Amino acid sequence: MIMAEPIPSTEPEPSAPVNENELVRDARRGDLKAYDELVKRYQQRIYATIYHMTSNHEDANDLAQDSFIKAFQALKSFKGGSSFYTWLYRIAVNKTINFLKQRKNRTHMSLNDIDFNAEHDPDLMALISEQTPRRAAGLTELQEKLNEALLKLSEPHRLVVVLHDVQGLSHEEIAEVMECNVGTVRSRLFYARQQLQGFLADYLK
Amino acid sequence: MNENENNFEALRQLLALKRHEIPPPGYFENFSGEVTARIRAGEGRAVKRRRHESSWLFRLLSAFEAKPAFAGAFASALCMLLLFGIVYAERPDVAPQPLLQTAQAASPLAAATSVALNSVPAEQPALMSDSSTNPVFNSQSAGPWFASQEATVQPVNLVLPGNN
Repeated sequence: MIMAEPIPSTEPEPSAPVNENELVRDARRGDLKAYDELVKRYQQRIYATIYHMTSNHEDANDLAQDSFIKAFQALKSFKGGSSFYTWLYRIAVNKTINFLKQRKNRTHMSLNDIDFNAEHDPDLMALISEQTPRRAAGLTELQEKLNEALLKLSEPHRLVVVLHDVQGLSHEEIAEVMECNVGTVRSRLFYARQQLQGFLADYLK
Repeated sequence: MNENENNFEALRQLLALKRHEIPPPGYFENFSGEVTARIRAGEGRAVKRRRHESSWLFRLLSAFEAKPAFAGAFASALCMLLLFGIVYAERPDVAPQPLLQTAQAASPLAAATSVALNSVPAEQPALMSDSSTNPVFNSQSAGPWFASQEATVQPVNLVLPGNN
């Protein structure tokens, strides 16, 4: 079983839990400044999760905004049983899965650009043939095939791959977000990887 | 098993590409602002909605939605009112009647004239067949009418404003 590496995050890590609790408390009272701060903290992760699930920037933008708005409206019902981060993730994931169920068989990819650093990623460099004259073109093709393969997975299987292998969440965190046990997460992850391996066999030799 | 591990390792390397997919530059600079703006706009709409909900008409309509029996009773009452209005409007002699009744009660002579009045309509069809340029009643037939009217007429002093 492989383990995900820590995500090279470009956003600031959430600060001390006390500060976050204060922000949540203020936001619950209707303080939009406090909520704005919370949005800034988690916007990249929430957007990225939704984007990797939908493979569509516009859908991800709408769903991410809707998720944050729904979370603000539901803040009063947030009891603090889990972390705000997990609770927010759950809202975003549920919203995305509902959207994908409605959109079934009407998938339209609108992929984001690959950043410049990708060409220097050792993992990716190993996959791209050294003889490829236009590396960027190779990466773009790979990106399309990868997203197509991910969209072939069922939503729960795609979600575990995205949360674990792309976002770097632990099995326990994923279990909390998906409200299932850790064993289910592990088995889903194994099955999803097997399927992806089959879909992408030509690119994994 | 080792081969599987190696294959998963290759897959993990490939999935690393997903982390390099980034939204357009500056996208996250406006994101939180858009979210809070939408929340504010939503709150504004909610306030307007609450104001609208507090109007009496909205409360009445809400009561109709909540209790269909109330809506039925209200509709029945409206129909009854309409029906009563129509029936009442089709009775032309309703207003003068109390005057005549008062006159009858006041003197036996008035009672006699009211009998004469009742006999007048029987003669009217013949009179009505005349040309439209002729008067409807001749002086003979109008006699008993005016005689009966004289019994109830009283002098009235009209004081118009500004005419002191």
